[in-house]
Amino acid sequence: MRHAGFTWHDGALLAQGLGVSLGLFAGTFLIGLVLGSGAAVVRHFRVPALSPILHAGLELLRNSPVLVQLFLVFFGIPALIHQPLAPLSAAGLTLSANTAAFVYFIAVAGLDAVGRDQVEAARTFGFTRMQVVRHILAPQAAAFAVAPLVGLAVNQLQVTSLVSVIGVMDLTKAGDILNLRTLRPFAVWTMVGALYFAAAKTLTLLGNRWERRLRAHAAPLEL
Amino acid sequence: MIAVEGVVKRFGAQTVLDGVSLAVAPGEVVTILGSSGSGKSTLIRCINGLERLDGGRITVDGLDVADPRQLAQARRLSATVFQLFNLYPHMTVLRNVTLAPEVVLKRPRAEVEAEAQALLASVGLAGKADAYPAQLSGGQRQRVGICRALAMNPRYLLLDEVTSALDPEMTAEVLAILGRLAGRQMGDGGTTMLFVTHEVEFARRISTRIVFLDQGRLIVDLPTARFFADDGGLAHPRIRQFLSKMAPSNTVAGAEVTV
Amino acid sequence: MSFDLTVLTPHLEPLLAGALLTAEVCALGIAGAFGLATVLGLATAGRGWAQRLAWLYVDVFRNVPFVVQVFFLYYGLPEIGVYIDAFWTGVLALSLVGGAYGGDVVRSGILAIDPGVVEAARVGGLPRLDIIRRIVLPIALRAAIRPLGSVFVNLVLSSSILSMITLDEVTGTARGVAAETYRPFEVYAFLLVAYAVLTYAVSLGIAALHRHLNRHMVASPGVAGSEVAGKGA
Repeated sequence: MRHAGFTWHDGALLAQGLGVSLGLFAGTFLIGLVLGSGAAVVRHFRVPALSPILHAGLELLRNSPVLVQLFLVFFGIPALIHQPLAPLSAAGLTLSANTAAFVYFIAVAGLDAVGRDQVEAARTFGFTRMQVVRHILAPQAAAFAVAPLVGLAVNQLQVTSLVSVIGVMDLTKAGDILNLRTLRPFAVWTMVGALYFAAAKTLTLLGNRWERRLRAHAAPLEL
Repeated sequence: MIAVEGVVKRFGAQTVLDGVSLAVAPGEVVTILGSSGSGKSTLIRCINGLERLDGGRITVDGLDVADPRQLAQARRLSATVFQLFNLYPHMTVLRNVTLAPEVVLKRPRAEVEAEAQALLASVGLAGKADAYPAQLSGGQRQRVGICRALAMNPRYLLLDEVTSALDPEMTAEVLAILGRLAGRQMGDGGTTMLFVTHEVEFARRISTRIVFLDQGRLIVDLPTARFFADDGGLAHPRIRQFLSKMAPSNTVAGAEVTV
Repeated sequence: MSFDLTVLTPHLEPLLAGALLTAEVCALGIAGAFGLATVLGLATAGRGWAQRLAWLYVDVFRNVPFVVQVFFLYYGLPEIGVYIDAFWTGVLALSLVGGAYGGDVVRSGILAIDPGVVEAARVGGLPRLDIIRRIVLPIALRAAIRPLGSVFVNLVLSSSILSMITLDEVTGTARGVAAETYRPFEVYAFLLVAYAVLTYAVSLGIAALHRHLNRHMVASPGVAGSEVAGKGA
């Protein structure tokens, strides 16, 4: 097999791809975290109409392939509204919504674990709804949800690898390009896999550290 | 013959059995008494090979339980009934009883099942063969546990606090069965029983011998009558203290048992 | 442009063929994943070098994106002389990743078994293999049905990624239909709902199966003696 060797430029390409993957992950995970938690609070207070619609929509997102969601947003929406959508925007939109769906179900379980009697007790002391969320619900639900959220984060980091299919220049796309040039797929995909692995393990490590800290602070509330 | 010779067992820094020696001859019914944490259950778990010894030696009919191959043989000679029953939750009552005879002793299924049905009937569980453990009361579960042990036709029956998890009524129903068993087997060279129990009154009625464990040491080993004599076991302050503490709870269950 | 699902009618036949291929690759992949999960669960619940090796495997396959695993198997392996076609690459990839996630589930099921039950089997004289086959696995796998079901549902969703190695399963077919009809929104919206309905139905089925196979494992309400549960050490 005739192929070109690896160069310093390839390292830069992979590093750049990794940067795009990590940036996309961080941005969409934060947005998803906010949206998903918000939807969970809406459900907790049983807001009419909005609550069941959100639930159905997020259930749909949780139970369908991210790849199809990505195609729907990138190819489907522009065809519907006759407006082109940049790959990065489509990727950001899809991954944020997808993350929100999973965060929603984790947050709902966390809020349910706190128990409504505590909320009622707080309400009798004159707390407003938002004060109850901030001081009573959120800290306890967070302590409950942090472990599954760390697991979700590792998963969503890996899901970003799908955006290469709509042309976003992430780590997987960088691997693709490198592969076409060097024709050494075994080495390329091993390297790309190792980079993802290292990123995921680092994320797990940070997540576990954060989990310990959060649980330590939340402990007095468990009384 | 079960021979326990100078057995030492440690859990971490704690010495649970500290040089225990005990011999159980065929036909005997030996009860091990002692307060919680005295090492009674651990001794049973050493004899049936669930715990590794840190010192000493245990043989069952000459088979050394520390040797895996001899242990496999020894386990065919003895059977254990557990405090928390430990039934197989995914199998019917009948299958719980027939599994080991069929798989370990390689006996034909039909024969084993007929025998198991008879055993279950003898403890009043004739109609429960197809039930699952979760559908039974504690007393019924322990009766299944006894049948499971007896189905192996064991030479030695090891009973580890088999009524501790039962309420007085269920305790009485299980003790009645064990009493019958001990009465039938005593002296005829059949099943030899080694009991760990808190039921002092019951032990007094059915045992040929009683041994007392205190903080991992076997401090008294006497024939039953001598154990309860003022110049025998009762001369020992630890035993008197133990018996005075145990007495109230035992008259209840003991009174209902007729052997 | 309005939303009009009737544009799909002439393409239902290839879409169904694609769905059938999805079903085939998933069925085989799930079977492989189940077998591997059982082995990995036993290994990770155990001790020694087998446990360390199994952990390493689980760690790698859970922390590398599925699409990278697929590319490695489909494009990377031929470089060292191993050729597998797209379909069997798909089956292999689904088995490997499903085994890693499922192994963790089976391990939890094994660790949740009451140790006394296993001790009873040991003193009963049952050989090691019989204890695993007749006691440990039947109990652990019963407890693991529901979480294993979630793993398998996720495998079905992941199988869409196999369209990226030219396998014309249902997502791959849908891409073709979208290009042909110029109606990508209808095509992908339909596909998304189809996946969701299917996986939701499968989840319900698994929950029912879980209840059915575990019906004897818990005391039914009102049974005398249920007070014993929780007593003791």
